[in-house]
Amino acid sequence: MLTLKNISKYYQVGGSKNFVLNNIDLDVEEGEFVSIMGPSGSGKSTLLNIIGMLDQPSEGYHYFMGEGVHLLKEKQRTALYKQYIGFVFQAYHLIDELTVYENIETPLIYQNIKGGERKALVADILDRFNIVGKKDLFPSQLSGGQQQLVGIARALISKPRLILADEPTGNLNSKQGEEIMELFRKLNQEDNVTIIQVTHNEKNAEYGSRIINLLDGKIESIKNI
Amino acid sequence: MLSTHLKIATRNLRRNFTFSVINIAGLALGIGIFLLIAEYVSFEWGFNRFASNYKNIYRASFFNGKEEKGDYYLPPGYAAALKEKLPAIEAYTRIGENLGGGVAVVHQQKADAGQAYREGNVSFVDGNFLQFFGWKLKEGNGVLNAAQTAAISASTAKKYFGLNPAVGKIIEIKNQFGSTLYTITGVYEDVPAQSDIKADVLLSFKTLENPAFRNGNDWADPVKLESGYTYNFFQIRPGTDQAAFAKLATQVTRQILPDAKGLKVELQPLKDIHLAPSFNYHFQTYGSLIYVVSFLAIAILITVIAWLNYINLSTVQALSRAKESGVRKVLGATRSQIIIQFLTETVVLTVISLLISVAFVTLVQPYFNTFLEKPLSLKLLFDNWICAGVCLVVIAGCLFSGIYVATILSAFSPLKTIRGVANLKLGGVSIRKVLVVFQFTASVILIITTITLYRQLRYMQTQDLGLSLKQKVVITGPSVINSSGIDQSVAFENRVKQLPFVGKIAASNNVPGQGYNFSAQGITKLAPAAGDEKKSYSMLIVDNQYFDTYDIKFKEGRAFTPAMLIHGWPKTRKVILNESAAKQLGFANAEQALGQKINWGKEFEVVGVIKDYHHLSLHQFIQPMIFLPAVADGYFTIKMSAADMQQHINQIKKIYEELFPGEPFTFSFLDEVFDKQYRTEQKMGSIFMSAAGIAVFIAAMGLFGLAAFTAKQKVKEIGIRKVLGANVLHIVQLISADFIKLVLVSIVIASPIAWFAMNKWLQQFAYRTGMSWWIFVAGGSLAVTIATLTVMVQSLRAASANPVKSLRNE
Repeated sequence: MLTLKNISKYYQVGGSKNFVLNNIDLDVEEGEFVSIMGPSGSGKSTLLNIIGMLDQPSEGYHYFMGEGVHLLKEKQRTALYKQYIGFVFQAYHLIDELTVYENIETPLIYQNIKGGERKALVADILDRFNIVGKKDLFPSQLSGGQQQLVGIARALISKPRLILADEPTGNLNSKQGEEIMELFRKLNQEDNVTIIQVTHNEKNAEYGSRIINLLDGKIESIKNI
Repeated sequence: MLSTHLKIATRNLRRNFTFSVINIAGLALGIGIFLLIAEYVSFEWGFNRFASNYKNIYRASFFNGKEEKGDYYLPPGYAAALKEKLPAIEAYTRIGENLGGGVAVVHQQKADAGQAYREGNVSFVDGNFLQFFGWKLKEGNGVLNAAQTAAISASTAKKYFGLNPAVGKIIEIKNQFGSTLYTITGVYEDVPAQSDIKADVLLSFKTLENPAFRNGNDWADPVKLESGYTYNFFQIRPGTDQAAFAKLATQVTRQILPDAKGLKVELQPLKDIHLAPSFNYHFQTYGSLIYVVSFLAIAILITVIAWLNYINLSTVQALSRAKESGVRKVLGATRSQIIIQFLTETVVLTVISLLISVAFVTLVQPYFNTFLEKPLSLKLLFDNWICAGVCLVVIAGCLFSGIYVATILSAFSPLKTIRGVANLKLGGVSIRKVLVVFQFTASVILIITTITLYRQLRYMQTQDLGLSLKQKVVITGPSVINSSGIDQSVAFENRVKQLPFVGKIAASNNVPGQGYNFSAQGITKLAPAAGDEKKSYSMLIVDNQYFDTYDIKFKEGRAFTPAMLIHGWPKTRKVILNESAAKQLGFANAEQALGQKINWGKEFEVVGVIKDYHHLSLHQFIQPMIFLPAVADGYFTIKMSAADMQQHINQIKKIYEELFPGEPFTFSFLDEVFDKQYRTEQKMGSIFMSAAGIAVFIAAMGLFGLAAFTAKQKVKEIGIRKVLGANVLHIVQLISADFIKLVLVSIVIASPIAWFAMNKWLQQFAYRTGMSWWIFVAGGSLAVTIATLTVMVQSLRAASANPVKSLRNE
């Protein structure tokens, strides 16, 4: 599904380069569930952002669904991730001004999907996530776990092939975290959605089929489960 | 998509309530002021355009090539003579404006004494007048072809006859042409407010053709070609080349008029009689282009300040919107989609402001109209191109500021906003500073302008005039002058003098603050210098008490004697000069002039020279004045004690009505008459004061919002500083310093601009104050004080917050 080759990300500090990512090679197949682990500052989030095309590497080759991302213009990149990738954030990043329903609906609006179809899709996912009763509430009226549920629902609404999750359980208690991870597993196994998550939590990492350990911008070890 | 945008827009307005209120209030106020002034501009622009054929109507004037201003008072016989020679003239009409002013006596029954009304706006006109100018008839046919016919306005008819029909009734008009009976042939609707030609009573010119109705004023014979006193309006055949026609008219006029050599006829379109189409327009106009333009400038300035406010406040809000913008991008929004969303918010806000501004205009309209003395309304905006102008300004303002704000708000890269709002830096800092500087520069200019205006006004009102205006009541004399009238006037003076509360009484044919009697040329010393005969003198007819009553001091000689009055100036040939006149005549000083003879057709003796005094406002230099003796009866000036004024005036009224039966008693206070000359400056002062107030208010609101934002943004810094031991003063300084610096920069920019503009403005006054340094200090201090207070509120709040709270949030 995606291939990273010799990917580096660095900042020029004085005369020397300050590497955040250093010569990373990585392949992810469709249907995988990958967990990226590592201490603070090891480059986990940067790696995830590069995979999600929110950030660009300083060097290296990046292929996604057979396309050379490093060759694309910004507009094309946007179109690409809009089509295939859903994002889930640690801080949920729901839009405070919008209700649950509207938050989930927003990506569809930007994909120019008609009103009727939008309604059906949102109703479907609300039902699936069991949050129909909450559809008219605003994010501030929900618990953290519920907010993340909405965040995931929003990421899934446009039927992405890949979900990128940056510490999705970081702001949740362990019970809520477990529920979210179960949901990811279900999505991965039943719907064949590829998932790449960044996490600190050893237990959560083990939901994945592969754990990649980063240290100082390099892949230290890969563990297959 | 649009409904989603609208929904988000309204939610956001509600969520950021304080910002929304400041934004909307500022914008609504700005647009409201703009609408009010647009009404005024539309009103002034639309003058004299109600006649269906106004485009073909021109006023003729004579230019002799030397004087700037042309002569608009043409000989009465001229129009008919010109029409005969020029077939392009379809019709003409003449107006002897206010020529017939005096008293109208209305008899309900044939035998009754009648009710008298003093009427100033009584004009002599030609028979076709009403139809020519498109004045609407209400009753009768209004044709004034026959002698002794009149037409009156609807409100005059109501005043005279109540609800009874007026056509066919006879009224008696007493004026300089004696006492004449007129039959009313028509009642016209009250003249539209947007007409420079106005009249309550119209009399037929035909009447004056009969010497019996001229009372010896043969100059007014309407077929003569000598003295010019009529406005001439010509309706030219459509399609006629105006310039060629004027040229032709000039040629013909030189044949018609004996002394018209070198004279040029010019035609002024009726529509341009009110408002000059350009600044260097050389025709006489009734409106003031410079006022309209400066009003418009103020309006646009205030609107711009309001929009800048909006831009400033909205962009600083961007930080709280950054996350939304970033998340939307991650969810797949393109930049243009985000721009449109923020633009929608601007449009919603503008529409709300517009609605509020309309409500605001409706609310203040009556006060504004009273103040301007003009019947303005929102309806005027739809009369002409102003409508398009207003729409253009509002839409352009909305789009420009909206797009600017949206561009800033949509510029954030999604990655940065997702990493955390705290790390964000907002662009456009220097632009925001420029905007604040612009707002305060405009405000400071307006403040300085206001101070200068009031200073000049005060200067003019408090200068020593050389005469005393205090406790003086001016009573208008009888309107009909005849030989027995002179005795009556003397009797009136004598009886009033007996009243215990009356100090002094004087009679004159005009009064200070109002005008002279006439101006004359050709007055010289017995041995004149070359060109002396071309010098002009202002003549005033007075009695012997005039100087004493007004506390006018004599430099040399004395007042007239009673004997000089009785014989009158044509016979006694005595004059009194003011110093300026003595000087202009060529006398070295007052002493040398005394007892000398001067030549004015015949020889006149100078019996006194008075010290110069300001007969009119300080707009003008003191004119060379010559006083002529007579038993005057135009105005009686009575100096009386201030107590029980109303009751005392009633006593005088009784005497007046007894001696001048049928004459309406009207009086005024001299100081008010004099002060009226400064009405323009008083109005200008009020307008600039309001404009300055509003500009400062809107700018301060913007500053308030900016300071609130800065306080919010620096909350962590403030918390850390407080933990490290900073006190409230330090914190206040931290927040305020930047803003105060901006205001100081504004003052530096505004001062030279204001200095230049006001210096120019002051040039128009003969007697004026200068621009002092303290005006700038005062204006600047005011701006700084207001800015400081505004910012202080916010910084104090920030400074007194508990640092533990703000730091824990991080």
